[in-house]
Amino acid sequence: MSFIPGQPVTAVVQRIEIRKLRQGEHLILGFSIGGGIDQDPGQNPFSEDKSDKGIYVTRVTPGGPAEVAGLMMGDKVMQVNGWDMTMVTHDQARKRLTKKNEDVVRLLVTRKSLEQAVRHSMM
Amino acid sequence: MFCRNQTTRATVARCSALEMEIRRGRFRRSVFLETLQDSDIQKKIDHEIRMRDGACKLLAACTQRDQALEASKSLLTCNTRIMAYMSELQRMKEAQVMQRVARRSSEAGPTDDRRPCKGKVAISDLRIPLMWKDTEYFKNKGELHRCAVFCLLQMGGEIHDTDMVMVDRTLTDICFDNTIVFNEASPGFDLRVELYSCSSEEDYSAGSTPRKLASKLSSSLGRSAGKKLRAAVDPGAGSPTGGGATLLLPVPAVAGPKYHLLAHTSLSLAHVQDNFRTHDLITSGNEECTYWVPLYGSVCCRLAAQPDCMNQQMMSGCLKVKQLGGDPQSSTNVYGVLKGTNLSCYHRQEDIESNVEPAFTIAINKETRIRASEKDPDSNVQSISISNLYGGEEVTHTVSADSRQETHRWMEAFWQHFYDMSQWKQCCDDLMKIDLPSPRKAALVTSKQGSLYHEMVIDTAGDIGTVTDILTRRMQELELRSQLGTSPPWMSLFAESPGRQRSPRLAGHSPRTPRRLPRSPLSPSRCPRPSLLSSDASLTSDSDSPCSTSPCSRHGGLAEPLSLPSSRFRPRTLSLDAKLSTLRGRGYGGALQCSCQPPTSSLTPIPAQRVSQATLSCSSSTSSNSSSEGRRSPESLDSSPFSRPSSARRSLRSMRAKLDPRNWLQSQV
Repeated sequence: MSFIPGQPVTAVVQRIEIRKLRQGEHLILGFSIGGGIDQDPGQNPFSEDKSDKGIYVTRVTPGGPAEVAGLMMGDKVMQVNGWDMTMVTHDQARKRLTKKNEDVVRLLVTRKSLEQAVRHSMM
Repeated sequence: MFCRNQTTRATVARCSALEMEIRRGRFRRSVFLETLQDSDIQKKIDHEIRMRDGACKLLAACTQRDQALEASKSLLTCNTRIMAYMSELQRMKEAQVMQRVARRSSEAGPTDDRRPCKGKVAISDLRIPLMWKDTEYFKNKGELHRCAVFCLLQMGGEIHDTDMVMVDRTLTDICFDNTIVFNEASPGFDLRVELYSCSSEEDYSAGSTPRKLASKLSSSLGRSAGKKLRAAVDPGAGSPTGGGATLLLPVPAVAGPKYHLLAHTSLSLAHVQDNFRTHDLITSGNEECTYWVPLYGSVCCRLAAQPDCMNQQMMSGCLKVKQLGGDPQSSTNVYGVLKGTNLSCYHRQEDIESNVEPAFTIAINKETRIRASEKDPDSNVQSISISNLYGGEEVTHTVSADSRQETHRWMEAFWQHFYDMSQWKQCCDDLMKIDLPSPRKAALVTSKQGSLYHEMVIDTAGDIGTVTDILTRRMQELELRSQLGTSPPWMSLFAESPGRQRSPRLAGHSPRTPRRLPRSPLSPSRCPRPSLLSSDASLTSDSDSPCSTSPCSRHGGLAEPLSLPSSRFRPRTLSLDAKLSTLRGRGYGGALQCSCQPPTSSLTPIPAQRVSQATLSCSSSTSSNSSSEGRRSPESLDSSPFSRPSSARRSLRSMRAKLDPRNWLQSQV
């Protein structure tokens, strides 16, 4: 999941569609994110490459919409509804996930096990 | 009559009436012709004119912006110097005329004004703080607007300029490293500091556009472009017309960057100190000008002065010194040197060169009293008595010279010295150090001016890396141990709910979230739910201890499962915008009050769900109102038992937690 700046990024991703849950007047997705280009990447416990400033899922609420959709802790979010999440600030990422007029967010996430699975299947 | 070394020649015709008058001694030739002083100044003017021509040519020829700015700076300096010399020349001519008039009218001899000694004045370490709008500085918005600035320092006829500095919004201060020394300064000096600036982005060719065309253009262009053009064509406020110059020298209009006066101030003897001091700047120009740089309004510098009386020998000669109260008949023959605040008495004159310590030293300072005493009956020579107060005790030395003229000269020297000290005031207390700039230093100065913020490097990579390595290893061995069934209670934290892939993740990266504070003794059945949910909730914990150390401390502290002090909690930090909107929105949305009371005390009696409920409601409402956490049951969010702590303290701590760059923000969506 490391990248070379300026070079296109290739990753094996899984498409995860999360339907937001309405709780009163709040729409919740049920997970927490960490990271961002304005954050210190060295403190990210999930990233392999400690200079990766991407958005990672740090926590998934059990039973929440995210867990139901298949999101896992440690996933790196690559896109949200077509918006790139690899080069965003923390707040931009949060905003893109929490748009009020969107009921569904479609994420593209990547994780290490995915790559391994693909690699195993190719062998 | 014809002298080669004079640049101008005036000839007086032989046998003319003027010559006859000169012969008769009525007029001095120098009244009509230039004196040596005048020719000196004329030479300087010629030199500066040549420099100016060179600068103009360079300006016309150069292509690089930096070169153009430097050439323009030297052009401005040359112009200022020419103006200053011209005005001085004018003043001297006027003085001569006045003198002539005075001599004709009265025979009064020249009044013997006592003049204070000259001195050296040095200004160094100029620093001008800037005041950028915080949006510009921190968020780095907008394109980088750069200006070239330099300082022009003028004292009397001496004009010096500092090096040019490029200013953009990454700088917090404009620093000029030059030390500038003025050598012939009188105590009533007036050091004028002027800050010139020039925008380094404008189109310089606009300066040469004829006025009419420029106004036509500016009216047809857009508002901002027209304004720029007009500013470029306008001669600007910075053209160096000296105040007293009555001779107008045509300033050649050149195409190229023009500097404008941005700020100025005047320094005098009152500002001299052996330390750094801050002085106010008078700024001209406003934000609309192209050459505007947001100044804080003050300038810091070190202004030091060394009057000649402090570092030169004012008087020296042989003296006989007798100390009153001592042996009445003994008087010592010494060689006395009056310098600074002391009269150093050496046994022999040669001792000074050989750097031998003086035999004794008599202080001559503001407290000293000197008077001529009556004639000594024995030697019929007047003597001088010098009295000082040494710690309450008055000590008097009687000093006598060989002859009456000598004594008179010594008295004269003492009076002059006192006068100098009274004029130079605080500069005579102690000798101020003036570091003459070494010519080699200029090469070593780095061209890039960094700001303080660039120098602060926060390197957390090293710490976190090693700690996380240690943790990985520990996790791996604990993983092994857990398979044997003797896992510590907090292992349940890292176990996902059944049905998930557990092991690869554990071996990988997930367990090392430093923010987990497991409460799992409550649920030894490996139900991670409450522990996971409650961990992020506390906002009151201190954010001082860096994340890297917290897991370690936590491992140690988990021996006592329930009595976890609140200080171990990691702050639940949201992004800055979210938090700020929280504080705004805290007035409404009471149900979403941050119940940041660390629920340690309430851990046992409250069922897991309630804990999760309460702690989850800690997250604040964001602008899109979506940061409400996932909850399993739609219980009422009234978490009043937890929302009691003072919100002010909490908000302060949460703000501090947010702004601490060591925290790695996590947001609940």
